[in-house]
Amino acid sequence: MAVDQTTITQLEGTPVQYEGGLARPAQSYWSESWERLRGSHFGMFFGGVLVVLAVIAITAPLFSAFVTHLAPTSVNLNDSFAPFSRAHPLGTDELGRDTLTRLVYGARVSLGVGFLTVAIYLLIGGSVGISAGFYGGWWDDLLMRFVDILLAIPTIYLLIMITSMLPLPIGPIIIRHDAFSLSTIIAITVWGTVARLVRGEVLTVKNRDFILATRSIGASNLRLMLRHLLPNVLPVMIVAASLGVGQIILLEAALDFIGLGVQPPTASWGNMLLNAQSYFYHSTSLVILPGICIVLAVLSANIFGNAVRDAFDPRLK
Amino acid sequence: MLARYVVRRVVASIPVVFGVTLITFGLLHATSGAFVPGLELNPNLRPEDIIRIRNNLGLNDPLPVQYWHWISGLLHGDFGRSLVDGSPVLRHISDRLPNTIELTITAILLGILISIPLGVVGALRRGSVIDNFFTFLSVAGVSIPSFWLALLLILLFSVSFHAWGLPWLPSGGAESAFGGGDPIDRITHLILPATCLAFVYIAIWSRFTRSSMLEVLSQDYVRTARAKGMSERRVTYLHALRNSLVPLVTLIGLELPGLVSGGAIIEIVFSWPGVGRLALERALQYDYTMVLGLTTFVALLVVVGNLLADVIYALLDPRIRYA
Repeated sequence: MAVDQTTITQLEGTPVQYEGGLARPAQSYWSESWERLRGSHFGMFFGGVLVVLAVIAITAPLFSAFVTHLAPTSVNLNDSFAPFSRAHPLGTDELGRDTLTRLVYGARVSLGVGFLTVAIYLLIGGSVGISAGFYGGWWDDLLMRFVDILLAIPTIYLLIMITSMLPLPIGPIIIRHDAFSLSTIIAITVWGTVARLVRGEVLTVKNRDFILATRSIGASNLRLMLRHLLPNVLPVMIVAASLGVGQIILLEAALDFIGLGVQPPTASWGNMLLNAQSYFYHSTSLVILPGICIVLAVLSANIFGNAVRDAFDPRLK
Repeated sequence: MLARYVVRRVVASIPVVFGVTLITFGLLHATSGAFVPGLELNPNLRPEDIIRIRNNLGLNDPLPVQYWHWISGLLHGDFGRSLVDGSPVLRHISDRLPNTIELTITAILLGILISIPLGVVGALRRGSVIDNFFTFLSVAGVSIPSFWLALLLILLFSVSFHAWGLPWLPSGGAESAFGGGDPIDRITHLILPATCLAFVYIAIWSRFTRSSMLEVLSQDYVRTARAKGMSERRVTYLHALRNSLVPLVTLIGLELPGLVSGGAIIEIVFSWPGVGRLALERALQYDYTMVLGLTTFVALLVVVGNLLADVIYALLDPRIRYA
């Protein structure tokens, strides 16, 4: 069978040149959005702050070895509640542990949990939303009723309920109060809203002609979902993620603060504040500094997130 | 028509209620198993006593049977008993719930009272220094952890004011331990936690009032009112403000489900004797049945709150009930 295999370029022919008009090259959604994001200087500045915080968090052991020369858990009882000095730029706590080192290590927990949780809940919410919207019918009903139920239980109660039972052995794995387990637990409790958003978007996309065309040339369901629906719902997911990081950092810090998150002696901004609560009369800087770190991280994440949303949200164009 | 809509919404929320009980119960058993705090450690109990107690508690029944016992209790208004002191969960809830509601309602009222003027001023003086300052304040407002703000307020108004010999505010509890309980004493205890909780509402609602006001101010009827020669003050407050508040009602309605759970963290910082504080206290004592009862209760309130909000919208907006 000899079908004429006309290549795409032949079909398109030569682009029409308008006289005197500037030829503006076609731009993809991604490069256009990226250009808009780059244009927002305010947003990019706070994106930069976020990157700096992330670099500090990643290089925390180097920082502790070469800058402060102290480990976050090294105790020196002769030096408790030390004022700001060259040896302790931000002072020490009740056990003489260096506050700056602990804050730097705290960044690992907060930022790590922030980004990891968002990644996990996008994965869960995205898969549930796409499959519910794509298959429809009883599967959609089942998943969406489950989301309704999950969203009816207040997050903080759900988290108190789960985290107060830790450590919890599940088969060979023991779930503890560490950053990775906490990310998973928080993600499991908050993915519902993303699933709803994604499903809604899938419903508007799945009846378009290109999906029918792809199906008619024999694409499998999995391929349809991953190669054709996913790229179309990605903007919604980016928007959901952009404002999620700040919220998750706040939630995780709150969990640490009520004593159900990362446990001492591991330093996190939330549990440093919990600790400082007992020493109001000894040191005000212990109360103020970890909070400033949280605000800086969340503020940067929120402002950068806003810029990302403005740049990537197709509805705001 | 409205009655039919309400009935439809109530029927639709029955599976959600059922699902909530299934999840909370399942989660409890997945995490705590059939653990009774301190039972195995009690030296006064012989091994056969332990088995007898566990049998009496129904912990050796198959899980579906345990669930059935628990949910048939729920249907009769019995939320179970505490594992630690044996008192009914519902009694603790009825002790604590008024405090929680008092805190949240005060915070919401404070939020409305402060955010609307802020939003209106921001909209009327768009682009001015004051407007930019409010904008900054509201972005900061959603970025500041409420529990840290709470600590700062305690540090200033309780610890430092006390140290400076100024009249200071109490930092915890709903009333003084000795000779407390009169209205003035309760209000002084309420000031700090309610301010903290209101802060987030103010941050969100003032932005919303501002943008809603800006939108209304550019409407044709506002121009018509001005063209008629109406004073700017009357235009602003009589025509623009009233209409710009309609969407805000929706936003405040969204807080209805969070009336009980919204202030949990603030309750914990200020030792406010509310439901959230109770849940944390009991969770730390491994009082699983109490935590289960509280979580289920709060989730049921969320479902009821959603239902109420839907009904109120349907009352306000006829398009919803005919959909």
